[in-house]
Amino acid sequence: MSENGHIGRRGFAMLGMAALAAPAIARARQPDEITEHQRKLYEAARARNEQATWYVAHYNSETAEALGRAFDEAFPGVKANVVRTTAQVAFQRLSQDLRARVQNCDVFSSTDVGHYIRLKEDGRFEKYVPENIQHVIPSLRDIDKDGYYHTTSIGTVLINFNTNRVSREEAPVKWTDLLDPKWENRVTVGHPAFSGYVGTWVVTMRKLYGWDFFKRLERNRPQIGRSINDTVTMLNAGERWVGAGPGATTLRSASRGNPLAVNYPEDGTVLMISPTAIMKGTRNPNAARLFVEFLLSKRSCEIQAENFSEIVRSDVPSFPGARDLATVKIIRPTDEEIERGIPEVRELWRDTFGV
Amino acid sequence: MSTTVAPKVAAGPVAPSGGLLRRLRYLEPATLLWLLLVGALFFLVVWPVAELLITSFQARRTGEFTLSNYAAAYGRQRYVDALLNSLALGALAAAISAVMAVPMAWACSRTNMPGRGFAWLTVLAAFIIPPYLGAIGWILLAGPNSGWINQTWSLLTGSEASLVNVYTFWGLALVIALNSYPFIFIFTKSALDLISSEMEDAANILGAGTWTTTLKVTLPLVWPMMLAGIILVFLETIALFGTPAIIGIPARINVVTTQLWQFFEAPVRAEVAAAYAMPLLLITAALIGLQKLLLSRKGYVSQTGKGGERRVINLGPWRWVLFGWCVVVCVLSVVAPMIALVQASFSRAWGRGFSLDNLTLANYEFLLFGHDAARGAIVNTFVFSAASATLAMALALAIAYVVRRNLLPFGTALAFLCMAPFVIPGIVMAIGFYAAYAGPPLLLYGTATLMILAFTTRFLPIAYANGAAGMQMIHPEMEEAVRILGGGRLTAIRSVVAPLLKKALLGGWLLVFILATRELSAAIFLIGPHTRTISVLLYDLSEEGNFEVLSALGGILLVITLVFVGIGMRLIGRDFMLRRSSE
Amino acid sequence: MSKLVLRNLHRRFGSFAAVDGVDLALQEGEFVSLLGPSGCGKTTTLRMIAGFIPPSDGTIEMDGEILSSPQAVMPPERRRMSMIFQSYAIWPNMTVAENVSFGLKLRKLPAEEVRRRTGEILEVVQMSHLAGRYPAELSGGQQQRVALARAIVVKPSVLLLDEPLSNLDANLREEMRFEIRRLHDEFRITTVYVTHDQAEAMVTSDRIAVMNAGKIEQVDDPFSLYNRPRTRFVAGFIGRTNFLEARLVGDRLGLDGFELPAAMVQSAAGPGERVLLSVRPQSITLHHAPPPDDGDRVSVPAQVVECAYLGEHWDYVVVPQGSGTRLRVTAAPAQRHQPGEAVWVRFDPAQIVAIS
Repeated sequence: MSENGHIGRRGFAMLGMAALAAPAIARARQPDEITEHQRKLYEAARARNEQATWYVAHYNSETAEALGRAFDEAFPGVKANVVRTTAQVAFQRLSQDLRARVQNCDVFSSTDVGHYIRLKEDGRFEKYVPENIQHVIPSLRDIDKDGYYHTTSIGTVLINFNTNRVSREEAPVKWTDLLDPKWENRVTVGHPAFSGYVGTWVVTMRKLYGWDFFKRLERNRPQIGRSINDTVTMLNAGERWVGAGPGATTLRSASRGNPLAVNYPEDGTVLMISPTAIMKGTRNPNAARLFVEFLLSKRSCEIQAENFSEIVRSDVPSFPGARDLATVKIIRPTDEEIERGIPEVRELWRDTFGV
Repeated sequence: MSTTVAPKVAAGPVAPSGGLLRRLRYLEPATLLWLLLVGALFFLVVWPVAELLITSFQARRTGEFTLSNYAAAYGRQRYVDALLNSLALGALAAAISAVMAVPMAWACSRTNMPGRGFAWLTVLAAFIIPPYLGAIGWILLAGPNSGWINQTWSLLTGSEASLVNVYTFWGLALVIALNSYPFIFIFTKSALDLISSEMEDAANILGAGTWTTTLKVTLPLVWPMMLAGIILVFLETIALFGTPAIIGIPARINVVTTQLWQFFEAPVRAEVAAAYAMPLLLITAALIGLQKLLLSRKGYVSQTGKGGERRVINLGPWRWVLFGWCVVVCVLSVVAPMIALVQASFSRAWGRGFSLDNLTLANYEFLLFGHDAARGAIVNTFVFSAASATLAMALALAIAYVVRRNLLPFGTALAFLCMAPFVIPGIVMAIGFYAAYAGPPLLLYGTATLMILAFTTRFLPIAYANGAAGMQMIHPEMEEAVRILGGGRLTAIRSVVAPLLKKALLGGWLLVFILATRELSAAIFLIGPHTRTISVLLYDLSEEGNFEVLSALGGILLVITLVFVGIGMRLIGRDFMLRRSSE
Repeated sequence: MSKLVLRNLHRRFGSFAAVDGVDLALQEGEFVSLLGPSGCGKTTTLRMIAGFIPPSDGTIEMDGEILSSPQAVMPPERRRMSMIFQSYAIWPNMTVAENVSFGLKLRKLPAEEVRRRTGEILEVVQMSHLAGRYPAELSGGQQQRVALARAIVVKPSVLLLDEPLSNLDANLREEMRFEIRRLHDEFRITTVYVTHDQAEAMVTSDRIAVMNAGKIEQVDDPFSLYNRPRTRFVAGFIGRTNFLEARLVGDRLGLDGFELPAAMVQSAAGPGERVLLSVRPQSITLHHAPPPDDGDRVSVPAQVVECAYLGEHWDYVVVPQGSGTRLRVTAAPAQRHQPGEAVWVRFDPAQIVAIS
């Protein structure tokens, strides 16, 4: 595994520079310039009364809902219908749709890259190369050579902890620290059969340390939730002290006064590259395309940044206090490893943890 | 025999030739409607179950006959364990429920315990709280580290170890029992209410004291009904999805319903799920059969109707012991979880407890103004519940009518079909509906229609029990009087049956409505992006552990429910939800 | 031509024949009772006439048209009949006036006529002052009157009554019998009346059909039925009677321990044949001393074995000398005998009926 996956350090250098440059850019919300192409999409979508149904696992529900509302505001008359769940539940519902041959979903945003590989093979996607992809950090572009799906969100899996219970000095600094018996009944994690973030993290850990890592983790009786965001709740409540959690939701919650902090593990922060695709046969093609354009727009990146998500554009300032990802060790399995790995670790997980 | 027929008329008027023509001429228009009803039942009950059965024997792609689904469903120890877990959980929850409910029922029915009205309200409240909300409440209370109880315990003792842990098998069983003991209470109390004091007097006169009499005479008399209630709790437990899904994963407990959910993980293996659901169906059917058998045994009070005069037993100081027990049950099942939920719904972070800087309205604000899906879900919940309650009551009344009036041959078969969904756990029924109607040719997946039909079927038994009980009150001569005066059957229904059944129908309607507003298990596989309900949204929110927003949404659901319960009590009387309507 | 004809009517429920070949014809305006014990098929017969139950065999005709046959049954609402039910079936959701006018409204009569006829009939049954009441506020007798009014006001072609008085107390029942008869005399509606109470049937009816085990035993006017019963069942069901087995020997009817002249009793029996005699208790008189032999009456010595005083009369059981027959005898209150007392029993041959 190349440590950075195929993203490369250069992309993050740029991201870092953008972050540094952030204060220089006016924070006033400038409406994105609507290009001719987007205007056509908008008019067509409005004329046909389209609304885009978005199965999304990229964000926590507040951020996802905020994006949906912003889209409604930016394009009055065209609606985004936000269905936020964990990645595997989103995929489960999509599979149910497909099996029943019902077209419910227009835009699909999972955090499990494996979904895209499978769905593309099955010819489930509509090819669309968004205009706004040109604004995306180059290393994040072209994750699918054929242009069926595109990165619209990035994120991190790292160590989060409750600062009331655990001082910065005590806090785990690498993943293997979570195996320390002193964290018995103190660790919280999500579930790879639900969350794409957790799935990817589990695949990564297995790759680094073998499955033994989880057998040892089980000795600490971790609290198992479903979404990776569940770890944040558990830490906030003081139910658990340390976790393998998402960067964005943890920092967002910390910014609201909750006793939370993150450590970027020395053995590697797991980088999530989360794509979005348009479903083949969508009955809302214009709204779907417009929505994908919107996800890559400045406005969308601003909202994501406000909610402490990492963003895919370099011309929008990141959230205050954002760590330059170029300065941390990034790890990421290949897409193929994720695609193959997640179904495997799901079963292994259930054998090890019982659920 | 000597008959003195005045005129032995030589040749009667035209012999019955052209019978068919006459038969058509005399055909009642209502007959077509009855046939339509049979069709509706077939659509709602028979086909989904048949499809479930067929699917379980079909290979995934080819549709060929195969047993491999059963092999897949039971080929792993983990899957078998889930089934065993369910059975153990059901038994434990039923036992705990009985321990809670039986003393309460006896005290409320036979004794001078103070606060009997209060105990009754407790039961009603516990019945109204949706199971998954109770589960969330208990997570907030008994989370091993952050739960209030454990925090208080640490504060008092300085101990690091937790006192209670909801994420255990016992915790799960207790939480379920705290929501389902009303079933046993209702069954037991309604039986106790029918026992004549003379039964007890007869034992007293022979020298038995109050306790001996109660244990040797009174309780044995209501044993069949009590057992019926226990069986019901057992069945409700093994069919429950929400609570095991919310508590079970952190507790590492996999049960049948959560395992069924796993079979629906992509790639959707509906056929394996169908195969896996079969034992659940069989167990339920067998136990319902047993329950029926128990209740139909002659000589027990449940069957003997009015039991003569009843006196209250004077318990002396013991009445305060029983009262204390009722208070404990009330606090555990209603007060504590509700306070925890309300606190969480107004909190920034629930673990931080009561403090001003933790207080916020943001959760409600987010739901009502910031969350499109929540508003949609609230509207959907209302529309689906109202539509399915209406449909279920209309159908149930019509079937009850056909059965009671013997309008079709095999009427009892129709009644059986109406009651059949009772033995089908909601999640299994949802799989049946998915298999039967989600795909072509009807393509109902993700539509409101599918949700309404599934809810209608799910609550048809309750609607039918209400409708049939109502029909029983109406003497057939009431309608015959209309007909002989020249009104057709439909006129009779419109001008006499319907007005007379108004109350019974309204009561049934409200009951179905309230149950439908909280239904999760039948909805979970059938919702689409436009048909989400509050319950499903709650479930989605629970994935993130977002208990503050979740509690707020639960609060909204409860307020709505309470409004309707209030309307029902006002219009129909306070007993309308707790009549023994499930049988 | 008959108004209503039942022809060879059968109704089977499973293997049980509730109605087993009933033939009956009613003239226009006639009042006929179906009288019998419970389970004799009378109500089933009535409900077949109403059209609620299809016949298994046979037909029902009205004015020459077949209403019911096993092949097709005209639904009740098209038979232009009306019926009074055992439960009254007064609709509790409607006022008295609404109940009564319901049938008229179904016939789509003008509002004015509906109002007028409703008013008139309530007048007839003396219920005008209660027109606005709901049934729950009425006594049983009042409800009965509403039921009568509701059934009569539509001027039905046939009026059917199904044990209409069985739910009333004794005094009211007696009053209502005459009320029903009065209404029949006033409106002359062809009526079929089902009852198990012989007094009710005898007060109200032109003719009575006595039913037993799904069959009609005898149809006759009340007087003939009582005095000339044709079957043992009819004799036993209508009033009380003593059944005496006799054998025709020459010109004497030999009974158990005594005998009667055969000429006294009309009988088709031949010499040596057995004859069953029905002797009403009140046709037998008791005497302290042998009564004078006046030729057409016969006296035998007997002994009183039981007695019971019922206020209006005495009931005695006497046993003729040398006989095992227990005779029930009704006597006036003033006529007192003690058990064990020797008496003379006197028969009135005119009141002795031989049953085939």
